[in-house]
Amino acid sequence: MEKDTLLLLEKVNQLSLSESERDTVLGFFEKRECDMEKLNAIDTENVERMVHVLPINTVVREDVAKKLFTRDDLQKGAPETMDGFWQVPRVVE
Amino acid sequence: MKKIMLDQMILTDCCPTNAGSKMLDGYTGLFNATVVEKLKEAGYEIAGKLPVGEFAIDLVGESCFAGADKASAAAKTLENDTVMAHIALDVNGAPRRVAAQNGLVFAKPTYGTVSRFGMIPVACSGECVGVMARNAADCREVLCTIVGKDEKDGTMHTDEVCKNAAAAAAPVKKVAVLKMPTDANDKIEATKAKMAANGIEICEIDAGVIASANAAWNMLMCAELCNNVSRYDGVKYGYRTKNYKNLDELYTNSRTEAFGLTLKTAILYGSDVLSTKNYMAKYDKAMRVRRVIVEAFAGIFADFDAVLLPAVSKMAYTEKDSAFEENAYTAPASVTGLPAVVTNGVQLIGPAFSDGALLALAEALEKEGK
Repeated sequence: MEKDTLLLLEKVNQLSLSESERDTVLGFFEKRECDMEKLNAIDTENVERMVHVLPINTVVREDVAKKLFTRDDLQKGAPETMDGFWQVPRVVE
Repeated sequence: MKKIMLDQMILTDCCPTNAGSKMLDGYTGLFNATVVEKLKEAGYEIAGKLPVGEFAIDLVGESCFAGADKASAAAKTLENDTVMAHIALDVNGAPRRVAAQNGLVFAKPTYGTVSRFGMIPVACSGECVGVMARNAADCREVLCTIVGKDEKDGTMHTDEVCKNAAAAAAPVKKVAVLKMPTDANDKIEATKAKMAANGIEICEIDAGVIASANAAWNMLMCAELCNNVSRYDGVKYGYRTKNYKNLDELYTNSRTEAFGLTLKTAILYGSDVLSTKNYMAKYDKAMRVRRVIVEAFAGIFADFDAVLLPAVSKMAYTEKDSAFEENAYTAPASVTGLPAVVTNGVQLIGPAFSDGALLALAEALEKEGK
């Protein structure tokens, strides 16, 4: 893992690490190389991907609207609201 | 009234659920998780919530934002016999490690037999709601209460299958012992002796591809976690930084200030695993290895009723230990969705829907003494 790649991953995930944290994370990525070696030692040439561990099919239901919560309920945990809207900083200068 | 504790991954509408993270400090859910409703309907009292490591991915709860002294709080609470059991979300094996190191029993059920509706989601393809208690009988009683089909969880088996799994009691007659290095080998030897005393045939086998389960689970878990925690952005709910001038800074500073380093590391690793460059080599490969491991277990269960393996590498951790290595013992059940029961400091894994049979074996071993 190159530091530039880590910086890109930070940006994509909206995180900003300190230099000492970056060293720790790079060390972690280095250790994970042994995970890759373990997996590559297993022949998966003719093996299908397993997304679900058990044979569970996608569940469908009637497309019926239900009102479970009010707007006020949903905004109870919001950091900042105004007039029933979630408040964020100005996005258009 | 029998008292039950919940971990901080389980939503309740009466008290906050923080997932062990500053991001959700003070957050209260709008509804009760299905397991909570089932327990209340059955007459149990929800006695409170116990701390959990940040998003339940650490060793034994040490990454909880409220402080490392909160680690293993479940074990301390269960020392008090006024509480019958503790319900915990098993994402990366932490509750199994806590049980193993503290002489408790933990049942991780077959994936899809206990509703995950109302859990803070982390690694949805493998995480399970389990029960920790002082003995296997209490574990079974509570597990039988919380199993069952829930229309709100799309990854569940039929009601009959779920209930039969928890109640199953077919005797375990033949056990395979997975050869895995551990400092807690005395626990394995003691369990083998107790099994022999119960007339159970024991045979040692090599771990083979199962030894690679943690490599696959580290990738799958981090990839799923990376997506699941992307919702925490400081806008809709949870922590918001005071230090921002624009929307980008609000997102970045909120997440940076609220998340701990273990979680940030897992997010970054998961994002790397899912990147265009690595998707096929890492994520896709891990999903194929997952099938190889499931098939390896199926091969073992053609000849054996259960597998005995360590739950931990040692009976106490230091700061140098990491869940990403230690989950070598817990990842086999996480990545395959198979039921696992920790008892007497060791772990039993059985075929899908053999939860009750594993608990019956744990009860039989308890009778042989600690």
